[in-house]
Amino acid sequence: MRKIMLACSSGMSTSILVSKMQEHAKGLGEEAKIWAVGQDQAMKEMSGADVILIGPQMRFLLSKFQQATDKPVEVIDMMAYGMADGKAAYEQAVKLMG
Amino acid sequence: MTENSKWFDLLSRFLMPMAAFLNNSRYLQTLRDAFMLAFPITMFGSLIVVVANLPFLDKFMSPGVLDAFKTSLGNAPSATMGIMSLFVVFGIGYYLSKSYEVEAVFGGVIALVSFLLLTPFFVSVENVADPVGNVIPLDRLGAKGMFLAMITGFLAGEIYRFIVQKNWTIKMPAGVPTAVAKSFSALVPALLTLTVFLGINIAVTSLLDTNLHDLIFNLVQKPLVNLGNGLFPTLIAIFFVQLFWFFGLHGQVIVNSVMDPIWNTLSLENLNAYTSNGEIPNIISKQFIEIYTVGIGGSGSTLAVVVAILLFMRSKQMKQIGKLSIGPGIFNVNEPMIFGLPIVMNPLIMIPWIVAPLITVTVTYFAMSTGIVPPPTGVAVPWTVPMFISGMMATNSLAGGLLQLVNFAIIMAVWFPFLVFIDRLNLKKEREEANTTQEKNQQIG
Repeated sequence: MRKIMLACSSGMSTSILVSKMQEHAKGLGEEAKIWAVGQDQAMKEMSGADVILIGPQMRFLLSKFQQATDKPVEVIDMMAYGMADGKAAYEQAVKLMG
Repeated sequence: MTENSKWFDLLSRFLMPMAAFLNNSRYLQTLRDAFMLAFPITMFGSLIVVVANLPFLDKFMSPGVLDAFKTSLGNAPSATMGIMSLFVVFGIGYYLSKSYEVEAVFGGVIALVSFLLLTPFFVSVENVADPVGNVIPLDRLGAKGMFLAMITGFLAGEIYRFIVQKNWTIKMPAGVPTAVAKSFSALVPALLTLTVFLGINIAVTSLLDTNLHDLIFNLVQKPLVNLGNGLFPTLIAIFFVQLFWFFGLHGQVIVNSVMDPIWNTLSLENLNAYTSNGEIPNIISKQFIEIYTVGIGGSGSTLAVVVAILLFMRSKQMKQIGKLSIGPGIFNVNEPMIFGLPIVMNPLIMIPWIVAPLITVTVTYFAMSTGIVPPPTGVAVPWTVPMFISGMMATNSLAGGLLQLVNFAIIMAVWFPFLVFIDRLNLKKEREEANTTQEKNQQIG
């Protein structure tokens, strides 16, 4: 099962994207745990994720997160974020997991 | 366009490290966590203040009963917001120690005691010659002591962790239970840190004939907080919030990390004054920012923009983003607008994006300074509460909600011509795209 964690300032706006990503994964018939957290919670829950995606408005967290974990971390594409494009964000996560 | 993108690039290169510094700084992060620690506690106090001040209570309670009712609830705000500085100083000591990976709870307690060591344990009473001893003045633990609490928390936390990291501790032989060993390992750092603060207090009280509470309050807190209560500094703060967001960075989080100590102190002063005599001394406060900018659809108050798009714009692209944005927008989340419209780095939108909230903040400020609308009481209202409701809750008046509607209308008016212009561009593009596909289909046919 793929475990994808999304992080922003309080986990509010990333949660919009989470539901779209879940829909997309379900449509593909893939099992995935996708959840959204605020930046402080993210530091604690990092170890439980396979991949971490950051909301573009908090992209200054990237280096901090990269120092804290060996897991792949990336900033979500701005347009995909704005349009709540679950497919694009899910594909970004899958690609990162290799 | 190349001129433009060069300019964007330059600003972005300057703003990005600034955002990273402000958000990721150990001290500002500790401060944020410490205020978060106090949040549920102040929430409880706020709810009780709301209940005690419900506008219709005097309709079915006699003045005597109403007084008794308010008095019986009085302990709730006093035990929470009234002594907020205690939670903040403990929180700073705790989270700072935690960030250095030293025993955090001792760091918190040592910071708390350091703060109390600087606090005079007597209070001067009017018409009484000698000060009353054996008491802790409540106001010094509240808004009045806030800056001293923050300074002490950081200083005590730093001294404590420095000594722990230097390993100047008493080490227990193996086999001693961990809890016992831990309390001994905190002994030397605690003794040294507290000695420093006791020494500071003796020096200040005997040499300067005052105390650090009054000193910090008059020299640091009062000037900074008075400055923060002005319209012009507030406009500068809002300008930066909008500017950061324009580059796709979370402006509110970044600016809050600098302004929260001031805005929260202003709120606390309001709430303390409101619960004791019903008056509200400050116009600007944490709630002013949250309710009258973020609280109208998110940073930039964009709910009006979403509604304008849904009602009046015709291009598919805008309709789609409008539909996506309305749900979160009601609860003041507007990332879909910011990244989807997009607002980020969109030169067509820069003017209304930055100018509109500056206008509404100015209007709100004057509506409150002239007494048309009461300023927020300082009662904590979560920023996700929809507009109109949040305005009424924050000011304990209908006028507070109506003012949000006025701001909503202003935002819509400022944005409207820009939206129409973008809509026309989109329509033209969509029509051209439709034509080319049609032509292609005809050629194939």
